[in-house]
Order: sequence, then C-alpha cells, then structure tokens
Amino acid sequence: MVVDIPPPELARHPLRQLASDRWAVAGGATIVVFLLIALAAPLLSGLEGHDPYTYDLDAVSDTGAPLGFGGGISVEHWFGVEPMTGRDLFAIVVHGARTSFLVGFAATALAVLIGVAVGLTAGYLGGWYDRLVSRFIDVLFGFPWLVFVIALGAIAPADLPKQLLIILVIGLFGWPGIARVVRGQTLALKQRTFVVAATALGAGPGHLLRHQYLPNLTSTIIVYSTMTIPGMIGAEAALSFLGVGVPPPTPAWGRTIGDAVGWVQTDPMFLVFPGTALFLITLAFNLFGDGLRDALDPRTRGLKR
Amino acid sequence: MRRTRGFTAVALSAMLLMAGCGANAADDSDDAGGAGKGGKLTVLSASTDINFDPAKSQNLAITTLGLVLRRLTTWDIQPGKTAQVVPDLATDTGTASDDGKTWTFTLKDGLKYADGTAITTADIKYGVERSFAAELSGGLGYHKGLLIGGDTYQGPYTGGDLASIETPDDKTIVFKLKAAYGDWPWIASMPAFTPVPKAKDDPKAYSQNPVASGPYQVSSYQQGTAVTLTRNPNWDAATDSVRTGGPDEVVFQLGQDATVAAQRLIADSGDDRDAFGAGFVPPAQLAQIEQNASAKQRLVTSDAGALSYLALNTRRGALKDVKVRQAIQYAVDKSAYQVATGGAAGGDLATTLITPGIPGRAEYDLYPAGESGDVAKAKQLLAEAGQTALSLTLLSENDQQSLAEAQAIQQGLQRAGITVTIKPADETTVTDTLTGDKPDFDIAVSSWQPDFPSANGNIQPLFATSEIGGGGYNISRYSNAEVDRLIEQALATTDPAAAQALWAQADKRILQDAPVVPLKYNKNSFLHGSNVQNFFVAAFPAYPNYLKVTLKNR
Repeated sequence: MVVDIPPPELARHPLRQLASDRWAVAGGATIVVFLLIALAAPLLSGLEGHDPYTYDLDAVSDTGAPLGFGGGISVEHWFGVEPMTGRDLFAIVVHGARTSFLVGFAATALAVLIGVAVGLTAGYLGGWYDRLVSRFIDVLFGFPWLVFVIALGAIAPADLPKQLLIILVIGLFGWPGIARVVRGQTLALKQRTFVVAATALGAGPGHLLRHQYLPNLTSTIIVYSTMTIPGMIGAEAALSFLGVGVPPPTPAWGRTIGDAVGWVQTDPMFLVFPGTALFLITLAFNLFGDGLRDALDPRTRGLKR
Repeated sequence: MRRTRGFTAVALSAMLLMAGCGANAADDSDDAGGAGKGGKLTVLSASTDINFDPAKSQNLAITTLGLVLRRLTTWDIQPGKTAQVVPDLATDTGTASDDGKTWTFTLKDGLKYADGTAITTADIKYGVERSFAAELSGGLGYHKGLLIGGDTYQGPYTGGDLASIETPDDKTIVFKLKAAYGDWPWIASMPAFTPVPKAKDDPKAYSQNPVASGPYQVSSYQQGTAVTLTRNPNWDAATDSVRTGGPDEVVFQLGQDATVAAQRLIADSGDDRDAFGAGFVPPAQLAQIEQNASAKQRLVTSDAGALSYLALNTRRGALKDVKVRQAIQYAVDKSAYQVATGGAAGGDLATTLITPGIPGRAEYDLYPAGESGDVAKAKQLLAEAGQTALSLTLLSENDQQSLAEAQAIQQGLQRAGITVTIKPADETTVTDTLTGDKPDFDIAVSSWQPDFPSANGNIQPLFATSEIGGGGYNISRYSNAEVDRLIEQALATTDPAAAQALWAQADKRILQDAPVVPLKYNKNSFLHGSNVQNFFVAAFPAYPNYLKVTLKNR
C-alpha cells in the first residue's frame, strides 16, 4: 500500500473513486446518520417525549413483560419499552449510539496514536528497540485482554469513570495491529529512493519522519482507523454484554442486547432494535473502510467488486 | 447463614397462587409409596462447584449435601406442613438437661458409612471439631459461639479436642453449652454435625470426596462440569425417615446459565424430562412460561420467604447519620424493585426484618411510604441532615438480574436527589467485599434465607456486632449495644413465646436505626421436567426438597 503520488492529485482522485463505490457511499451515509442521531440523542428522545432513565411501570404487565404489540410499540413508545422497567426503548437505542461512538472513536484515536508512534519509531530506528517493541507487540497479541478487563473492572476505584476506563483499556490493547502495519510500511519506505535521497542530503530524523514517512503512511492510517472503529464498538458492546462495560443505567447497546437475550421468546423486538443498530453501524464502517481502501490503494484501484 | 442468590422471582396466575401449596401437593403427591425408584435425575445448577465438606458448607438440610451426608438431626419438609426438626442419625432430637445447657443424643443402631464401617459418635464430635479449624472456615457456624470453649478453640489439627463435646461411648454424644439454648435441635441439623471419620479426613480433598452416610455417594467429580452421585449400598432406608432415595443416580450439571437451564426445562425434551433446575427461574422465562401451558404446570413457586433488602453501610460517610438512612427508607421505590424481580407474584413488599412464616413475627411499618416511596419525605429528611448532594456507590453483581435490581434502586433514590453510582463486580468480589474486612461500598442489595425457621435466623446473622466482617453477613456493619443485648437475651430464653417477643422487639429496634431497607419477601420459582415427581417447595425453606424427588417409571 505504498503511495508516492504527490498529495494534491491523491486527494482528488480517490474521492471520485470513493463516490463511485455505491456500497461505500451507503456505508458512509449510514455512519453520518448514526453520528447525527448520537449527537442529537436528547433532542430525538425529547421529540418522542421520553428519556432513557425514567421508569414507567404502567407500560409493563404484572410480570414485567411489556404490554401491547411488539414489546409495547405505540405512538407513545416508538420502539416499545424495556421489560421489567418500562423505560423507553427508542430513547435507550438513540442514547446507546452515543456510548458506542464515544468509546469507538476515542479508543480508536488512542490506539492509532500509540500504534503509529510505536510502529513508526520501531521501523525507523530498528535495532534492539525494534526487536523489543516487536516482542512486546507479540505478547500483547497473545494477551487475554478480555479476562484482564474483567479483573480490572473489579479492582478499579468506583470514582474512576467506567467509560474512561473502557476507552483506555480497549485503546491500550488495540494498538498492536496498527503498530505492526505501520512498522512494516516504514521499513519498506526506508528503502525508497526519495527517502534515501533525503537522508543523503542530510535530513534529520524529525524532517524524515514528518515530511517523508508520515505523508506516505496517511492513507494506510486512515483506512486502518476506519476498519478499527467497528472493532472497538464491538469490543465495547461485548464488554457491556458481559456486564463489565459501561455501568447501568447509561444506555449501551451491548448491555441491552445482553438483557434482551433472555426475553427473545416473549419480546423479540427488545433484541431486534439494539441488535439492528449495532449490526448496521459495524457493517457501515466496514463497507466504508473497504471503499476507502480501494480508493486509496493504487493496487486495488479500478478493480470492480 | 445463607445469602440467597440468583434469580428471585416469579410469575404465576392468580389462580395458581390461590391454590398455593395445594397446587404443589396435588400435582406431585400421586406417588407417595415406594414407586418411582430408579432412573437418572439431573439437576441443573449455576454453581461451578459443589463443596461437600460439611465444615465449609452452608447447604440447607434438604438440598445437595443432604443426599450424601446425614447429620444428628435433620428437617422433615413436606408440602403444606410447617418445617419440623426430626432425628436423623440420632434416635431423637436430643434430650436437654434441666438447666437447658447440656444436650444428649443417642445414635440409631446399624448405621454404616458407604464403605461398611460403623458410624460412631466420635466421628460426629470430630466433624464438629474440624468446623472450628481456620482452613475450613466458611460453613454455618451457629454452634461455635454456643459450645463452651468454642470462642478460643482452633480445631483438631492444632488445638487438640474440644472438651465441651463428650462421647462416653460409641452411641452417645453430649454437648455442653455456655447458656441454655432452646433451638439446639435445629443447630444439630447443620452440616457440621455430619460424622467425619478421622482416618479419612483430608481437609484439602474432603470437599470433593466425602465419606457418605446418606443414600448416595460421590462417584465422580469434574470441577465446573458435573458431579455424579450413585447409590450408597450401605444406606438403610429403615433408619431414615426423610430421604426417599428414589433415583439410582443423581447428576449435577454445573455452570449452567440460568436462562439456558430454564429454556431447556421449558422445552422438556430427552433427558431434560428427568431434570430440575436448582436456581430460580429468571423473570424473562417466567413471562414466557405464562404462555406455555405445559411449562406452567411444571413451575413450582414458594411462599413469600427470604428477605431481599438494601444494606446501608452504616460506617461510611453520610450513611453514619441515621437521618440519611431514614431518608433512604422513604426514597426507595419498592414497587420498581418488585417488577424488576418478576412482578407482584415475585414476592410481597417488605417492611419488617422477620420474614412471614416465622413464628412470632409482628407486622409493622416504621416508614409508611406506599409502594413506590415518599420522595417529599425523603427530601425533607435529607435537608434536615444537611445533605444536598448525596452521592452513593451501589455494589452489585454483574449479572443481568442483579443489575436490573440495582437500577430499580438507583432510579428510586435518584428521585430524592441522591446520586447512585452502580459498581458492578463478579460474584466472588461482591461477596468478599460485603462480608470481608474491607467494605468498600455504600449500599448493596442482598437477600437472606434463614437457616432454620426461627426469628434468630433472621436477626442474629445480619445485625449482631459479632457478625461484622470476617465472612459474617452483617453487611451494613450495624453495631448497637442495646440490640446485641436483646439478641443475647433472646438466644438464652428457652420459652419460645418469650423468645419470640424479644426477637420481634429487636426487629423493630433495629429498623429504628435503619441499617437496611427491607424490600421484598421473595417467592422463588423452580421448574422441573415432566418426568420428575414429588417436587415441591414448602413454606420453609423456599427451596425444593431434593431428598424426596423421584422419577416416574417410564
């Protein structure tokens, strides 16, 4: 994925390429829609007249099951209500988007930041530092992070915001992949004539990294970041599903899906709404990421799917 | 001592409810005689481990341990009847001396272990002694404070023998107590009163390989997967009045998810017809069973029994102030809590500490606030206490059911301006934090099933100063010299009516200090396969009687 076309041309060309990829456009549009939903969550649920925290015991039966069709779907509750609490499911789903995006984006940003810094320096410096970093990456790859996170959740102080903890943990375990890719790219760039020439002309490490390596890694980083986000969103959902994610009552799709599994026979819509949301957003990021890679990578450019 | 866990809940039609225990009986009592022998009974359990060491076990006399181990006395639990303490290995439930401080038991004739050797009183003495050992802590310890020298005795491994237990011959055992204690026959039914032959004792391995005296012995133990019990050839039904010993084999499938277990039992196919669930049926499945006639017939629900309560850590920050604790009494939304545990049929709202069905219980409500609380009153009390922005940490287990309950509490307190942060943790961490010496929490939802049907079992383990930390269940760290005196006084009172009055007095006195918020008297629901019979839940305890379950002959 080495690109050494000058940046201005690169910026125009891939965008057109991306715009012609229908799947990528659909993915991008879905992302934008969900992003807007997340940003306007209080507005949207306010429009419906509910928030995700207030109990409405009149909306559930004596046994806690939602009253009415499809888990209580009505003009009042667009997606029905949550069993056992009567909380509005629409409000829970739109607010859940906030949790997913916040954790997904922040953890990805953290992972990319660390990954690029580590990968770039490892590839550039080489030697014992590279060997050390590479071994450490191997260790992290084999590390049972899920078990670690569950254990960490038990010992973390209660006043540390759980969202922050999850972002830190997912981010800190998420960087080895990108570090490895960036290191490989850097090693390849090292042999390229323009880098060799810059080095021969006496360019310092600062100049080399900033002006020779980074610009040529940008597309890789962008594509990899886009592909990492759904993984991070999925990781947060998995943690919440297991009951070690964002603590209730903050809405999180993973937790709602976990709660809904037991209700699937009696109230399937409880699973369908948050499940669809999670499915759509991860699919959208993957489609968009694919399209972006096709657009930015000269080797796949022009290939029709 | 038993902290009830898992899914408390229910859902029964009003009709079935009205039928009450009668429904259990009618459904299952068609086989009272000797029929129903044989077959392989499966028990689906959420636990990953069964601890068969009588010194470490908190098992009720009628569940798992009762199948393998016999005690001096045991419980006769039958549908529609009150719980009775009856002789097990002993010929009677003990003879007290005139001052009530010395209890003598005699063993039945012809009692043998699975290996054919005779059961002697020396083994029972040894069994009780080893329950004092530090490495075998964690079991029910009511006897420890009652026996003379019990507070300093270190167990047989380091401390020699305990002089207050005498065995004049192989058939007789004498217990010498510090003070008169009327409930001693119940104490003698606790797991520690199981015979343990000294020669076979290996504290490390005994929990998986106990010497069987009951109708079954442990034939295989796969940690986390399954435990298989097969018949004990040397168990003689003639000496045993409470165990039926129906199935040839009993298999405990461990680590079964409550939802999956319930689904399997609802589906009722293959070997699952011969199975029952040891855990409570989750609320979601109760709603599902409502619409399934076949499963509905196989659902057995207890009377209101165990108490669910919100424990307030009385040694933490603002909670030291009784006004704040009383404000919480008013702020809690008991109705939302009830729905989160399966609705009205999941239990009745609670206002007292002594649970329904316990003799001497007095009904009262110190904090009348209606079903969903009195927010204005709570706010007023908080203002009087000078608390404007109270923030509390609620420690909860991280399973869905516990979190649902925690949120119901959270939203209730939120209405009164109390910010509640839920801290989810795994079961072991929660238990260790609640009962250990580092109580890093403000409030927690817990529930309690008395270990024997006496108000003593409701009050002493939860509110005596001696039960704070070190594995004790005084979770709220409540300590009041006046209450301790009342407890002591009630324990020493041999006249049941007088003792009951004292317990009722203690009940009210404790709630004046508001160390806990009584939430609900739980009704537990259990599901069994279509081939399982004699499966019932009596008034006490709110758990099925494993000892009488049989399978229909196919």
